[in-house]
Order: sequence, then C-alpha cells, then structure tokens
Amino acid sequence: MTAFGENLSAFYAVVRRDFHVFLSYRTRLVSQILTSIFSLTLFYYVSRLVRVEGFTTPDRYFGFVVVGIALVGVLYSCFAVSETIRQELVAGTFERLLLSPFGGVRGAVATMIFPLAYAFLMASVTLGLGVVIFGMELHWSTVPLALPALFLALLAFLPFGLFFCALTVATKQANIGASWVIALLSIVGGLYFPIALLPGWAQFAAEVQPFTPATELLRHLLVDAPMETSVGLGLVKIVVFAELLVPLALYALHRAIRLGQRRGTIIEY
Amino acid sequence: MSGVLTEADFEFELPTPRRQGPMPLSLRGVSKAWDKGRVPVLNRVDLDLDVGDKVRIAGRNGVGKTTLMRIAAGLIDPDRGEATVWGTSAVASPERYQRLVSFLPAGDRGLYARLSVRRQLDFWARIAMVPRREVRARVEEAIELFDLRELADRRVDRMSMGQRQRLRIAMTFMPHPDVLLLDEPLTSLDGEGAEILFAAIERVLDRGGALLWCSPAGERLEYEFDRTYMLDEGKLVRA
Repeated sequence: MTAFGENLSAFYAVVRRDFHVFLSYRTRLVSQILTSIFSLTLFYYVSRLVRVEGFTTPDRYFGFVVVGIALVGVLYSCFAVSETIRQELVAGTFERLLLSPFGGVRGAVATMIFPLAYAFLMASVTLGLGVVIFGMELHWSTVPLALPALFLALLAFLPFGLFFCALTVATKQANIGASWVIALLSIVGGLYFPIALLPGWAQFAAEVQPFTPATELLRHLLVDAPMETSVGLGLVKIVVFAELLVPLALYALHRAIRLGQRRGTIIEY
Repeated sequence: MSGVLTEADFEFELPTPRRQGPMPLSLRGVSKAWDKGRVPVLNRVDLDLDVGDKVRIAGRNGVGKTTLMRIAAGLIDPDRGEATVWGTSAVASPERYQRLVSFLPAGDRGLYARLSVRRQLDFWARIAMVPRREVRARVEEAIELFDLRELADRRVDRMSMGQRQRLRIAMTFMPHPDVLLLDEPLTSLDGEGAEILFAAIERVLDRGGALLWCSPAGERLEYEFDRTYMLDEGKLVRA
C-alpha cells in the first residue's frame, strides 16, 4: 500500500463522511432547490422590470445573472467550510483529525471536497432550472468546456475557504467577516451586474481576485456572454491566482494549527 | 552473468520501521505553563515507558494529568522538553508519531453524532492510514472485540454514554498502536465494558506495546499497573 493510496483512502473517508452526514438531513436538498427557484424567479422578474445597460434583451441579462447566482453558491460553500471546522472544534472531531496521521491540514482540505462538489451540483441544478422553468438559453456548443473551467475556478476559490479555516482555528470563531467578503466579492466579481457599472476604484478590485475572470469565462462558455479579454487570458489569470493562493492558504492553515499546538489553544473552542 | 534479476536478489532484511529508538514512549524535561509567569503545570517531567509497561498517572483534578497526556499524544507542544515514541519526535515527525500512538481523550467528544458505529470506525481506520485492504477487516475486528455488533448500524446520537465510550475505545485500539494513552477510559463504562478494555490492553502489551493510563487519585481500579505516579505541583512522584 503506497502513501498515495493511504492518502486517497483518507480523502475518500472524509468525503464519504460528509456525504452520509448530508444524507442524514433529509430536507436539505429540497430546501436548497426551493431557494434556487425563488432566486431565479426574483431575478427573472427583475430582468423584465429594468433595462440593464449592455444587454440587448431581458433574457440576456437573465442568463448573465443566473450564472452569477450559480457561482455565488460555490462561493458560499468555500466560506461555509470554516463553519464546519468550527463545529468540528466544538465536537472534538478536529482533535481526532490532529491525532491521526492524516492531520489537520489534509483533513481541512478534504473537508472542502464534498461541499464544493455539492455546490457544483447545485450550480448545475440552478442552471437546469433556469433552462427548464424560465426558458434560459444555454450556448450548448461550449457548455462542456465549462466543466474544466469550473474546476479551475474552484481551485482558485479554494484558498479563500482555507484562509477562513485558518482564521477559525486561530480565533475559534467561524465566518469572521465572511459575509462581508462574500458580499464584496459578489459586487466586484460582477456576479449580479456588469463591473463596467462600478466606479473606477471598484473596477480595480475586480482585477485583483479570481472571481471576476472565473465568472466572465463561465458566462462566456455557458450563455455566450462577451468577454472583456480573451478566453486564454482569462484562463491564465485563474491559473495564476490558484497557483499563488493555494500554497499560501495551505501555509496559513498549517501555521494556525501549529500556533494552536504551541500555545495549547488547539483544544479550545 | 545474466542481467535477469530473480527473487533471491531481493532477499535482504528490511529495517523494522517502528523500533528505531530506545523506548516506546519517552518524555524528557517536559514543561508547560498555561500563563506566562505563573507556576508551570508541568515542571521538567521525565517519564520512560518500556516494552510491555503499564503505567498509571494519578492526581487531583486540574493538576495537569490531561495536559501531560495531550503532550504525550502530540496534540499540544510542551514549552520545553520533548515527547518521543521509538525516538520519533511528536513535533518533528507528527505523521509518523501518530502512526505509533493512539490517544483516548477524556470525556465523550470526538464522535460524529449522525454517523453509525460502522461508518465511524471505517472513517477512523482510513484517516489513521490503516492499509486500504485491511480497513474492512479491522472494522469488523473492532466491532467483534468491543462487542458492538448490535450497535453497528446505530447512529451515535442514539446511543448511551457507555456505548459511546465503548466506540471511542474501539477507535483507539483499531490502528494497532505501539503506545496507548488512555485518559480516564473507564468513564461511563459498565463492568463488562471495563473487562473488554482490559483484555484489549493486554493484547497490545503482548504485541510489545506500552500503556500510559491517567485517572484521578482515589479511583478504585481492578487492574494492576507496573508503576503508578502521582502528579503534584508539576512533578511526577512514584506512588
């Protein structure tokens, strides 16, 4: 048995744990689908009510915003993992991870897999509901390319979740400022409306995080929205953000755990 | 000479990975203070456990027994000193260290309320890096040895405290550790559970393991230890 095989088995165990815990809450899936339908309904009528600059028809804006809604779900799942880590600290199960050869850092990374996979599923459901219920038009010829693009986007989003996990381990509080960060990223990432409508300084903020290129690229692939830059440049931006931020976030989490072990506060909650 | 290698070419003795240091568990000059400037809860504690040793640490509540166990488990660092298992440092090689020790923390925490006993054991076996092909057998072994058959498919939040403790103990023994660290393991256990625990300890000791047991002073135990220490004012004193 290789170390790779043992690691794979441990990652699988964490994902399966989260899957079974999810299944034990039977109404969760239904309530989230209903939430998606309500959001889509709201923005469907908003798209009929207002005329947004740069969109030739209400349907173009609706397609634009549905992709945004789907990505907000993914964004939320990244940040929600810090709440899971907080619950693990309280339940003493994070301590169990630390007392295993798998360890806290790999344990936290593995804990992100199921929520992100589920967010990916819910994003697909949201898009599907947009198509089936509200007649949204997908650009089918490029839809398959959205899959690897979303995977890259997840890699670029992942560090934000890990940074908040590190913060949770260090401060014992989940989601300190997470809702602010999500709201800010929703605005400067252009999740609900084009960033061209934002003031200059906010447009600068749109350039220095991975959500804007990820959202733009996915919109282009899913609903044929025009891109400010080329597809290649968008991809490069996402890859660079992921490559820079993932090691930094892993290091931050490692340091937070080690600091807690040195001070003895890792057992506190 | 033929260039073809045969099985005989590979017949050499592999080093035993676990037995590299002098002692299964060694604590050297371990000190810990919870607040700067205050009297340390542990003050240059030395403790060695040899193969087959059964050692108990007793003391008043809040005297630092659990802190000592957590340091021995590699969960928290000492301010000074070092914990090693077979020469492996808890701080320098945490992954390897955790393959050698198994710690049962005091209390009833560390379980996933909404997972069944079998899923909990499977989860723990995998993150304890039990070889994948052995996971199922180890889970079944733990269910059998700790008499969890009737509870195997029951969710933890639907179990009694004593049943949960039996599961926690099963999880502790499942990775086949070299060093057992048991912090108040008899909590909520009935007589039958205690007997199962003692039998499991003996199996670990027969394999060449060692036991460090911690419980409050005055606890009546029907189990023989090789040595008992009292922890008082940061020092271990032979009882």
